Amino acid sequence: MLKLMRSALAGAAMTCAFVSGAGAQEPLRAEVMHWWTSGGEAAAVKVFADAYTKAGGTWVDSAVAGGQNLRAAAINRIVGGNPPTSSQFNTGRQFDDLVGQGLLIDLDAVASENKWSDAIPGPIVEAASRDGKFYAVPVNIHGQNWMFFNAEAFKNAGIAEAPKTFDEFFAAMDKLKAAGLTPIAWGGQPWQEALVFDAVLLGQGGKELFFKVYRDKDAEAIQSDDFKRVAETFHRMRDYVDAGAPGRNWNDATAMVITGKAGVQIMGDWAKGDFIAAGMTPGEQAGCALVPGNNGYVMGGDVFVFPKLGDAPTQGQALLAKTMLDPEVQIAFNKVKGSIPVRTDVDTSSMDACAQEGAALVKDEANQVPSVNFLVSADTVGALQDTITSYFNDASATPEDFAANFADVMSAAD
Amino acid sequence: MATRIRRSAAPVVALTPSILIVLLAYVGTMLWTIWISFTSSRLLPVNSFAGSAQYERLFGDPRWLLAVQNLALFGVLFIGICLVLGFLLAVAIDQRVRAEDSLRTIFLYPHALSFIVTGLVWQWMMNPTLGIQESIQALGWTSFRFDWVVRRDMAIYAVVIAGVWQSAGLVMALMLAGLRGVDEELWKAARVDGIPTWRVYVSIVLPLLKPMIVTSVVLLSIAVVKVYDLVVALTNGGPGTATAVPAKFVMDYLFERQNIGLAASASTVMLVTVLCVLAPWLYSEYFRKAKGSAA
Amino acid sequence: MSTVTQTLAPATLDRAAAHRGRRPRKLTAGRVGLYAFLALSAAFFLLPLYIMVVTSLKTMDEIRLAEIFAFPAAPTLDAWVAAWSTACTGLDCSGIQVGFLNSVKILLPSLVLSIGLGAVTGYALSLWKIRGANLLFAVLLLGAFIPYQVFIYPLVRMFSMVGLYGTLPGIVLVHVIFGLPIMTLLFRNFYSSLPPELFKAARVDGGGFWQIFVHVLLPMSTPILIVAAILQVTGIWNDFILGLVFAGRENLPMTVQLNNIVNSAQGEKLYNVNMAATILTALVPLAVYFLSGRWFVRGIAAGSVKG
Repeated sequence: MLKLMRSALAGAAMTCAFVSGAGAQEPLRAEVMHWWTSGGEAAAVKVFADAYTKAGGTWVDSAVAGGQNLRAAAINRIVGGNPPTSSQFNTGRQFDDLVGQGLLIDLDAVASENKWSDAIPGPIVEAASRDGKFYAVPVNIHGQNWMFFNAEAFKNAGIAEAPKTFDEFFAAMDKLKAAGLTPIAWGGQPWQEALVFDAVLLGQGGKELFFKVYRDKDAEAIQSDDFKRVAETFHRMRDYVDAGAPGRNWNDATAMVITGKAGVQIMGDWAKGDFIAAGMTPGEQAGCALVPGNNGYVMGGDVFVFPKLGDAPTQGQALLAKTMLDPEVQIAFNKVKGSIPVRTDVDTSSMDACAQEGAALVKDEANQVPSVNFLVSADTVGALQDTITSYFNDASATPEDFAANFADVMSAAD
Repeated sequence: MATRIRRSAAPVVALTPSILIVLLAYVGTMLWTIWISFTSSRLLPVNSFAGSAQYERLFGDPRWLLAVQNLALFGVLFIGICLVLGFLLAVAIDQRVRAEDSLRTIFLYPHALSFIVTGLVWQWMMNPTLGIQESIQALGWTSFRFDWVVRRDMAIYAVVIAGVWQSAGLVMALMLAGLRGVDEELWKAARVDGIPTWRVYVSIVLPLLKPMIVTSVVLLSIAVVKVYDLVVALTNGGPGTATAVPAKFVMDYLFERQNIGLAASASTVMLVTVLCVLAPWLYSEYFRKAKGSAA
Repeated sequence: MSTVTQTLAPATLDRAAAHRGRRPRKLTAGRVGLYAFLALSAAFFLLPLYIMVVTSLKTMDEIRLAEIFAFPAAPTLDAWVAAWSTACTGLDCSGIQVGFLNSVKILLPSLVLSIGLGAVTGYALSLWKIRGANLLFAVLLLGAFIPYQVFIYPLVRMFSMVGLYGTLPGIVLVHVIFGLPIMTLLFRNFYSSLPPELFKAARVDGGGFWQIFVHVLLPMSTPILIVAAILQVTGIWNDFILGLVFAGRENLPMTVQLNNIVNSAQGEKLYNVNMAATILTALVPLAVYFLSGRWFVRGIAAGSVKG
């Protein structure tokens, strides 16, 4: 036994010597970590990989499903001294600490050379930059306040067009209910409920209230009647949700709309992929409209960060960053991904109807609304989700209590 | 291998890897965790002392308080039901039944499956709109209700069911093994005395199974304190925050919410709690007995 | 080893056979109740597996109907084929088979080393008087209760300092570390349950630490070794996050692919492929259960005779 262990240890020592010696790599080899593993997502990554290969690089794919898993692996590789060329994060403040500890390389040279700031909406530039320097490459904009509906179900229930106000919305929901459908396909997970709440906050409360709450952390605004009305509207949706909602995955909710069991789902534009897979064209069989109020386009999305491997980005890193934001690559990538290009200077006429609508909206600065992830830390986002999901799932909760809890969270926010 | 001269040193040499592991990995991590819990570390650990701020926040967080309550409730029910069901299954299988091998494997297999997907299946089954409730209502019993998983007051019991499903088989195997170890003379004597079988099980066999019960309880307790996958797969902590558990709280703050200071303080509280529960038992089980048995 | 097998095995089997008498010929009310209880329990345990299997045989269109108990209209093995060989995880479309060999490469040394270390530690702690041994054991047991995710960051730092991070030996060492508490517990209890005369006689004969272990105790340990193997195979094989963080890009275990197939964030979820992939991934531990089920029960029985 001891002999066996001894030889195993010797073997272990040799193997690790061998592995650590294999660190040297060709300059344009790029190992990219991301969590895009499903069929549609992988097809989108392939656009990047192909473009990078065409530009002369070698793409090494490291995919791990689940943002949390991938980020855990990537962060540990970065602090463990074995960083990838690039790794994915969500647009926002998720990589604050990595920048703060000097683990990421700034991409300002690449950015100014390619004039990123001119083409990318302001809030996204801000979310990708720290101290005025780009530390991340934003690659897409996911609209997060979309309402997708089954056009046929709407027609059968006598709903002529997508509701434009919340009164119309609830009237339409009543019609769906009368037609025997589950009006809202609800995904009862905290992040989904928070996503809907933010959409309602923007739609009913307006852009000003949205910013006061999330950017200015204004306690008065949170305790205001406007905010409480938003909370009431959000809570009212309970009446239009089926009993099986808690814990439901967003894609299972989408399936309810696809099969006509439910009328509408409030979700990000990634849901389009499922409609397309089921043979429904976005904008036709699968109707899309922004959540009533039309006060803007809630922008989320993904970025890629580049761990510090030297004083400046490596050749591979620079080329990768440039490739990801190439106008043609942007269109091709986002068409597959279901999002819209992060550049506003590209021609989106070849994209689906919903994407075109989104892209048109984002061109106007007034419609650019950053998602909550841009404005507060991941910690606060989580605490907000706890508050929102507790409120929605408690039939007897009052808007006053909710506003008080919400204000508590925001007062401790950073 | 070892010569007689080195005999007295050999046990210490043999223990060296374990001592190193305990010191570096376990003690090191524990001390590090305790230190981090007093800092304001976020995504990455930093050494900025923050006093008891993290603990104040922890005990002001309704989700954490709920998580601790849930853990106690879940732990008692889960361990209790697993022990009872595991024991009953073992006794039943021990009655010279047909297909014993198959039954044993059927009760044990859930242990081998990843909970990422089996949790999904349980979620489907317990979901009132597609699972058992829907099916039984479709058969005509329209007032039938089984909607625990979507009810805030009942969801934690749904987690218990799925947990029992996963772990009862292991207890069954341990208990069955214990039953097979019971001396045959005992059964003969009991039969001669005309003691009813159930009394033999309860009054004589059960006390003999103590080592198996202790092993089961230790293994199940470790599973309870670490319960994470089960909850994530089944309810993801919901509805609302109704099924929050400490391990999920720690995980959320460790990675998704990027506040390892808070995660570390939660871990430290768990550690101290476990220590308080474990210490008296460890003492009576090992320390006192050890004095008599060592060579 | 074989002699012990022969002496232990018949004893336990006979005991099982003898003590409840022969299987009754007639069905009494009690027997009916017994079988009803077993059948109900079996149904409870099998129901999720049934759903997994039928779901894996359905098409996605059928799954969207959300009739989870329904038998597939036209059962198809497509999902199984896809799960094994064509399902995509990122750009790599070769199913879960990719990680299979890696999982084996991680499993075997981890298994041998963790059980070996656990056995030696358990032996030293149970039969030898070593100062501070109980403290060591207490800390180890306490450590078993810490969520292992808490260990990740400090271990990553330690491993990267000595160059073990992201290597096969690294992930093996991680499994050895996390397996140590329970392995030690198992072997410690097993060895201290053996008749003390055995050990004393070996000492009187002048046996040293390793001699007694190798020549006296190890040959008697087959049953508990198998118990330990079953627990460790399940634990190591099903591990995901440790493999992901510590194994390095070249050695990612099969569960990483499983996670990629099952856990994709956005885009259609192929439930049929997920179910097939899960069952496929579980085949190795399942096979171990099937093959050693008898031994599992016997092993603990042998260890607990005089618990």
